[in-house]
Parts: sequence; structure tokens; C-alpha cells
Amino acid sequence: MTNNQPTNINKKLEKILFSVEKPGRYVGGEHNQVRKDWNSVKTHIALVFPDIYDLGQPNLGLAILYDIVNQQPDMLAERAYSPWVDMEAQLRENKIPLFSLESKTPLNKFDIIGFTLPYEQIYTNVLNILDLSGVPLLASERTAEHPLIIAGGQACYNPEPMADFIDAFAIGEGEELILEISRAYQEWKRYPSPRLELFQALARIPGVYVPSFYEVSYAEDGTIHSVFPWMQGVAMPVKKRILARLPAPTTRFLVPNVETVHDRISVEIMRGCTRGCRFCHAGMVNRPVRERSPEEILTAVQAGLDATGYEQVGLLSLSSSDHTRILDIIREVYARFKDSRVQVNLPSLRIASFSVDLMDELKELRPGGGFTLAPEAATERMRAIINKPLDEAVILETARTIFEHGWLSLKLYFMIGLPQETMEDVQAILDLARRIKSIGKSIKGNRVRVHLGIATFIPKPHTPFQWYSIEDAQSLQSKIDLLKEGTRRADIKMTYNPPDSTLLESWLSRGDRRLGAVILQAWKNGARLDAWTERFNVTAWLDAFAACGIDPDFYTRRQRGLDEILPWDHISTGVSKRFLLTDLRLSQAGKTREDCRNTCFNCGILDAYGSLKPSEQEIYWGCP
Amino acid sequence: MNNTPPVRIRVQFSKDGDLRFTGHLDLQRLFERALRRSGLPLRYSQGFNPKARLSIASALPLGFSSEAEFLDFWLDTEIDLQEVQQRLSAALPRDITIRHIEAVPNQAPSLQSSLLASEYHVSFLPEIDTQEVAAKLSALLARESIPFSRRAKTVDLKDLLLAANWQRTAEGLELSLRMKSTPEANGRPDELLSLLGLTAGSYQVRRTALIFNADEMTKHG
Repeated sequence: MTNNQPTNINKKLEKILFSVEKPGRYVGGEHNQVRKDWNSVKTHIALVFPDIYDLGQPNLGLAILYDIVNQQPDMLAERAYSPWVDMEAQLRENKIPLFSLESKTPLNKFDIIGFTLPYEQIYTNVLNILDLSGVPLLASERTAEHPLIIAGGQACYNPEPMADFIDAFAIGEGEELILEISRAYQEWKRYPSPRLELFQALARIPGVYVPSFYEVSYAEDGTIHSVFPWMQGVAMPVKKRILARLPAPTTRFLVPNVETVHDRISVEIMRGCTRGCRFCHAGMVNRPVRERSPEEILTAVQAGLDATGYEQVGLLSLSSSDHTRILDIIREVYARFKDSRVQVNLPSLRIASFSVDLMDELKELRPGGGFTLAPEAATERMRAIINKPLDEAVILETARTIFEHGWLSLKLYFMIGLPQETMEDVQAILDLARRIKSIGKSIKGNRVRVHLGIATFIPKPHTPFQWYSIEDAQSLQSKIDLLKEGTRRADIKMTYNPPDSTLLESWLSRGDRRLGAVILQAWKNGARLDAWTERFNVTAWLDAFAACGIDPDFYTRRQRGLDEILPWDHISTGVSKRFLLTDLRLSQAGKTREDCRNTCFNCGILDAYGSLKPSEQEIYWGCP
Repeated sequence: MNNTPPVRIRVQFSKDGDLRFTGHLDLQRLFERALRRSGLPLRYSQGFNPKARLSIASALPLGFSSEAEFLDFWLDTEIDLQEVQQRLSAALPRDITIRHIEAVPNQAPSLQSSLLASEYHVSFLPEIDTQEVAAKLSALLARESIPFSRRAKTVDLKDLLLAANWQRTAEGLELSLRMKSTPEANGRPDELLSLLGLTAGSYQVRRTALIFNADEMTKHG
């Protein structure tokens, strides 16, 4: 029935693997890999992280979906990643289609290809992967013979730039959606029927967005005139899916045979965040806060370590110190694992002495290296604008505590290009970093290292800042220059995003459907692996914009009208536009809003999902 | 801290299939994790970042298979060797097979310091004219020296090559090589074969034996 010839691919691979860098990326065979007999299951799903193995293999989202699909007796999930440039050249030269790691089956033989899109700079890789797999790039050119192409992940809250290439988007949390989509596919497959019927069935699933069912028209000034759902019965807006209770964490992690960026198990301790930082996409789109219990977390850590032999665990969330029972979790983790020589990573800690205490509780289980704090802005005025209120005294006190407790290295994250930011605010970053360094020196002497990580602000969809433009390149450059010069003098190490790659992220995250043509043209111009600084080719993109007759500044350098229809308005995160607008006005007035776990500001989440909220005893939701 | 003397275990293993593309450092990590999964009572190094103690005799070049890799590791307590083999085997990927296991005195010299040489078996793709390769090799070996430049320095392959023999098999002519494998002088079959105009991928190399020094004077494999 299926025309897959894995042995054929194996034979061809045998030759080319000797001529590529790190061939272990392309062979699979990891411990805990699931290998099912192709013909014994009905539905074959390729889960693809569209960047190289080293980055994609540790991705927690795909690991969860892989586990969920492979638990179904009538389905299998296999994995694929972007080939690096050397491997791509070999595949093309030898006419080998891109294949799954498990059975070396060409991707076009799968029923469904699912891409995870956690960020935007990997969009051209999606096109490249489809092309290498022999699948037509444009959804409109595919037929019932081709796999169904779906995508999910954090970038899909604005799916429009990829609407030309993806048949259906899964908006929101994917644990249930992946199976609902697969079941709908199975149902459709039972009888020969047109693809349109599959799409109709998919569009009926809450949280699934089928872009071809929506017609977008534009006004003369280029803004969106209307988004019209022409197919009967499709959702408008498409409301993201959430899980009222987080399911038990995945513990059967694959253990790679070659090194990856995060060689460890990851357990998500909490989803969502109640802090309400106005620049933060993740904080807005992942509401409400839902916690996992210490018992569930401990059981998962133990099972994950036993199943993998890993020596490191990451306890993940957007704001670890905000878990209501974080102290219990850390104490129990320490008690349980103090003799098994594991390291426990606890990222995303709030700036407070409490966070330092938490790390201290881990004692010898805490990893080596530095401590990280993210004030994001260095003046109280700026921190009020972004709603990350913090007294400078608290920042300095936390830094002092960190050095007093023995850390020698401190990494500080800030953003530049924020709304209403002045050169004084940027200078203040330098001043603060210097003061922190001198505190460190007074405690620990010359061994102290302070590292400054500078990110450029991009107004992200679904945040209170979504209407802003990004700052012009020249002004950003002068801010970077100021920081570079200042950190050099103060012997502080600084890293920052190159302004060009910031531009790409801005276009793609803030774009509309018309960007599909630009992405396609950029790929034809050779753009791929754009997230790799050394590979990123801004000319390929600028040429593509020019060829399509589209002004890139329209997407990034233009303050959007408050009454404008934004490209992502028909996708609902549950947080209302009215709330975002009120928050924007508060920001402009320099006013903050406190953590909303105590006081509800009526963001819309409870209206949209409140009926799902379990009882307080059962699971903690951040909404009061 | 455990102050009792550790129990030193030596295994000989083969490495095949896709694991040929897992390099030396990655293989060490693979063994660390497999040993942890096995639940055996591993002896850890002391200090801030304790690691399970283990040591592999010789780095096998990427892409080679082998039936003669050697690993030493240390346990906290004595456990029946058969059980050790069984638990470790169960935790290892299918492309690694344990071929032999023994206990070794703690004072025995390290695998690396007693290794002298390796034996390799080279087979060629059908499209390679092995007669021609054999002729080229003879001509090469007739030279006084065979300089080969590695990144910073030049080595003499003639000095690193101890023996070369051809055998006729059902698949055609195959080549056996014995090359030095010491920290100071380590021969690589792929370097020699590149001088014969062969590109990686046009032949396959399998390490068939390690030769250890004086104290044991034994050939393993």
C-alpha cells in the first residue's frame, strides 16, 4: 500500500553520512525512540521541528506530542528536523527526499506532517523541508495525495504570514488538539472524499484555524478592511484551546546519541503567568496560570531520570518563584535527589531575595555557573511603562544576596527600544550594571563577572504594546553603541541581537497574509536557517520584499491605528482587545497593575474559560 | 563519601550501525547515562560536580564500526559479573553489544597507557577497483616516508603503520591494517586511504582488535 522504501534511503545515506558534519543528527536510534511497524498502524504522523536536530531534539512541546501520539495503538509519530546546509546539498545532489529518523521514510509518505513553530525565524525552513520532501509548498497546490500539513506553537497566535503554506493551524495548547485532528483525519480517510471535507471537519474542532476558509480584503492604505469567514460554520474568532488541568508530565524523553543544546529532562511545573508584563507575549497568550502539584512534579522527575539516565533536570515555567508551593517542591526535590548527583535548573526566577533562598535550598544540586536576573529596564519610570515594577533597592539587594551566597557571575537581561525610552534610560542600564558589579567586587573581589544581555523590544501581537512600531534602526544602533562603549570601559561582557535579525522577527511576527509571497520569494532567494546569525541573509529578504512590491516598513515602522483590524484579530487568546487597550493607556500614563492573582483586572480569560475552572482544592488556577 | 576501594570492571564491546556516527565524547556520555539507567552502584568522582568514573581505551574515528572497544568503570560494591553484564546490556542501545566482561585489579595500568596498537579491517564499495588500490598502496609503502599533514603538524604514516595485508573474500579484496594507537602516535586508516585517492564513504572500516602492552602482551579481539 504505502510506497515507502526506507532500505533504499538507508543505502544512499550510508554514502553521504561520511561527508557531512555531525552525521549523528540524521540517524535517530535514541534510547526511548518509538519504532512501530509502519503497516500495523492506520495513521502516520511526522512531527517536525524546523531547525537542526541539535536545537529541535530537546524541544519539550514536540516530546509531549510524540509521546501522546505514540500511545495510540493505531497511530505512529516519527521525527524530522531541518538538515544543515551540507546535508541539504547532499540530499539534493543524490535526490534523497527528507526522511523521518525512525524508519527513514520520506516525509511525503506520511498522512500528516505537523510543524512546531515556537518562533518566527524558522519559517523559511518549513518551506525548505516541504520542498525537500517533495510536497508542494502552497496549500492551494496540494491534493488528497499529499499529507495534511498542520502547525502549532507560540508563533501561531499570528498564523497569517504562514497561511499560504499550512492547511490547518492548532491554536493554543496542543495535547488534546493533536488527537482530535488525527481522529478527524482518520474519519475522512475512511471513504474517498475531497480534501475540502477534511478541512471542514477540522474547522469544526475548537482551536483549529483553517486559513483558506477566511477571506482577507485590504483598504486602499494597505490596512486590513475585513476578514471574512466565507465557509459556513467556521469560528470567528478562532478561540485558542487550553487544558483546565495540565495532564501528567511526559517522562519518556529520548536520549540523544549526539550532543544537543539542552541535554536534560524538562518538567513544566506551571503554565501561564500572572505578572502582566506588557511586552511579554508568553505572559499574555498562555493565561490562565495553572500549577502542577509538588507530588506530580516529584513523581515525574523521578520517572524521567529513571527512564533516561540523565543527570540534569529543568523545572520549567514562565516565573518559577511564583508557583504557590515552589518552596515545598524545591525542598522535596533536594530531599529525594541529594544522593543521586543530579543538577536541578530553576530558570525564570523573580528578582527577590526569596529566589536566592530557593537556589540555596538546592544546595549541591544547584548547577554551577552564574545567576540570572531580568530587570528588563533600568529606570523606575521605564519599569512602570512595561509593568515590571521593582524598586532599584530590591534589585541591588538581590544582587548583593547573590554575591554573598557565593555566586561569582551574574547575568542581567535588559531590553532596548521600549516605548517612550530615552537615552537616559539606556544610560541607566550601564549605571545599574556598574553598580551591581561594584557591589560584587566589594564582596567577592576581582573574580566577579557581570554579563549584560540586551534584547531589542519587538511589539508582539496580543500584547498591550501590539499597536506600537519598532524603533528605527539608526536610533537602535546608537543605543547599542552607547552600551558597547560603556560595557567595554567597565569590563562587562555584553551580548545583543543584531538589528537585522530583529527586523526579520518583527516582519514575521507582525505581518499579515501578504507576507506569504515574501517568505516564498526569500526562500527562493536562498534564505533558510535564518535563526543562525552566520546564515542570516538580510539581502535575500529585502530583495523578496522589493520583488513582491511590499514595503517592509509597513509592518514595523508604522504606529497602528487603535481602530485598525490587526492581522491576528480573528485569533483569540481569551485576553480581550479592550483589556489590552486599557493596559496600553495605563502604560502611557506611567501606571502599573499589580500581579493579578489577587486582584482580577478582567482580562477576559475568566469570561472565555472560567467555566472550565476546577475547584481550588483540585488544582491551583492563578485567577481569583 | 565512600572510602572503600572501588570495584573495577572492564568490558569489551562492539559498536555498529547508526552508532558509528556517535563520536568519542558522545559515547562517553552515552555510557554514563546507560550506567545510570542500569541502576548499578557507580563510583563517582569527588568534588563540586561529581561524575561517574569511566574510561574508554581509545577514541574510535567517526564512522568506523568496531568489535574491540574497551571500557573500564568503577562500582562501589562487588556485584556478580553476570548480573553487571545483564543490567548494563539491558540499558544499552541495540548497536552496542558487550562481548566480554571481567574484574580488573585497581592498580592495573589504565587502558590508555597500556594500549599499543589497533587492527582494522577495510572493505570497499563494489565500484572501487581494489587491484588498483592495492597497487597504489604498494607504491606508497615503497617510499622512505609518507608525510601527512594534520592541522598543526606533519606525521609520517610509514611510522604509524605496522602491517598491511590483503585478503581475498567472497566480497572481493579486503585490507587488514595494524597501526600504532598510543597517545603520542596514533595511526588512522582513513588518512592512509585518502592518500590512495579514496574518499570517505567509498570504504568501510571496522576495528577488529586492540593490542595492549608488555604487562599483558595480549591481543584482544
